[in-house]
Amino acid sequence: MSTLTLIDYDAGNLASLEGALERLGFSYVRAASPDQAAASGPVVLPGVGHFETAQRSLRERGWWSELPGLVAGGRPLLGICLGLQLLAEGSEEAPGIPGLGLIPGLVRRLGPGVKVPNMGWCQARQARPHPALPDASGAWLYFVHSYALEPTDDTLLVAEHGRPFAAAEARGSVMGFQPHPEKSGPDGLRLLRAALTWMGAAAPEAPCS
Amino acid sequence: MPAKRVIPCLDVKNGRVVKGIQFKQLRDLGHPAELARRYDQEGADELVFLDIAASLENRGTREAWVRDVARELSIPFTVGGGVSSVDDARSLLRAGADKVAVNTAAALRPELVAELADAFGSQCVVAAVDVKRDADLGWRVYLKGGTAPTELAAVEWLWELNDLGAGEILLTSMDRDGTGDGFDLPLLDLASELPIPLIASGGAGQEVHFLEALEHGADAVLAATLFHEGILPIPRLKAYLAQQGLSIRI
Repeated sequence: MSTLTLIDYDAGNLASLEGALERLGFSYVRAASPDQAAASGPVVLPGVGHFETAQRSLRERGWWSELPGLVAGGRPLLGICLGLQLLAEGSEEAPGIPGLGLIPGLVRRLGPGVKVPNMGWCQARQARPHPALPDASGAWLYFVHSYALEPTDDTLLVAEHGRPFAAAEARGSVMGFQPHPEKSGPDGLRLLRAALTWMGAAAPEAPCS
Repeated sequence: MPAKRVIPCLDVKNGRVVKGIQFKQLRDLGHPAELARRYDQEGADELVFLDIAASLENRGTREAWVRDVARELSIPFTVGGGVSSVDDARSLLRAGADKVAVNTAAALRPELVAELADAFGSQCVVAAVDVKRDADLGWRVYLKGGTAPTELAAVEWLWELNDLGAGEILLTSMDRDGTGDGFDLPLLDLASELPIPLIASGGAGQEVHFLEALEHGADAVLAATLFHEGILPIPRLKAYLAQQGLSIRI
C-alpha cells in the first residue's frame, strides 16, 4: 500500500480530484515529471481538453516515454476522462497521433443524432465482473466528453449516448474511467475508492502491514 | 441520453452567497463552500455560481472561494460574472471550476466564445443569455444583468453562440424570472433546437413547472429562491420528476 502519484501536466484542473482524494483519505503527490513520482504505487493520469495538446504536454514532461515502462514493470495506472482516451491506440480527435496503446481500441466521436458534448449524468451498466469495481452496475456517473472508446473485451462498464461506449476499462494493471468519478457524487467516490484500493493505494480504511 | 439535471444557482458577492430582498438589500446566506456542500448532499446535479460584483479588485477573493468550493464538491460547478478574457477563465478553471459562464462580454466581443472554446474546449464554455419578449425581435437579448437592451434577437444570437463554440446555453427569461409563473415554454421550444445542451432559467414556482420545461426540450432546469428558501427541496423535486417518467439521478 503506497502513495498515489498524480500526473500534473496542465491538462485539466486537479483541484477537484485532489479534493476527492483528500476526502477519501488517500495520500498522493503531484508530479509534473517522472522524477517527482512516488517510488511505487498507482499513477493517476487525469485530463481535460484536446487529445493532441495533452499528448504533446505529456511528451514534453517526459511522461509519455516513461509510462509504458512503468506499466510493463507492473505499476498500476488509472486514466480519467481524456486520461483514459490517451491510454488507447489513438483518437478521431487527432488523426495520425498515436495514443499510449496500453489498452486496445480507437476513440471515436460521439453521435450523430445526439447532443455533443455528452454533458451530464449517465447510468453505467456492468459489462463484466471485476474485483476493482464490484457492485458498479446502476451507478450514476458524470460525463463531459465528445469522444469515447468503443466497448471491447477490456470494458468493465458501459454507458450510452446514442450508442454504447466504454465508461470504465481494465487491462492488467491499467484502468480507466471515461466519466469524472471525482465529480460523480457518492457513486463516483465509491467507485474511485474501490478502483484505487484495488490498485494498491494507501487508504486509512484499509490498513496493510 | 444523459439524465435531466436540476441546478441551484447561487449569487456571490465579495466571497459570500447573497440573496436580494426587493432588489435592494442583500441578505447573507453563507460561504459558497458551505452552501455547495449542502446542495451536494441534497442531490443537486450541478451548481452555478454567479459573481454579481465581479471586478479586477476582487479577483483574488473569487479564486479563493472557487478553490474552496472545488475541494468541497463532488459534483460539477460553473462560475460566471464578469468573465471577459481567456485569462479570467483560466484563473477560474485553474482554481477548480468545471465551466465558466460568459454573458455581456461575449455579446460585446463574440470572438471571446471562440477563444475560450479553443483554449479549454467547448465543454468548459457556458453562454448565459438574458432575454425578454419583444414585439419586433420575438425575444430581445439584454446585457449587464438585464439592464442594457441590445438589438440582438435571442434566437439568432443563440445560433451564433453555438457556431462560435459554446458548449451549453443558460437561458433566462427576464419576463418570468422571480414571478413563479413557470418557464417561458415557447422560448424553450425554439432554443432546444440547438445541438448543444440547454439550461432553462426564470419562472420556476412549483414542481410541474420544471416538468414542463424539461418536456419542452430543456436538458437542465435552474432555480434559486425555491431551493434556497427550502420551498421546494431538491430531493422532493427529483422524486417528482422521476415519478413522471423522466430520467433523473436519484
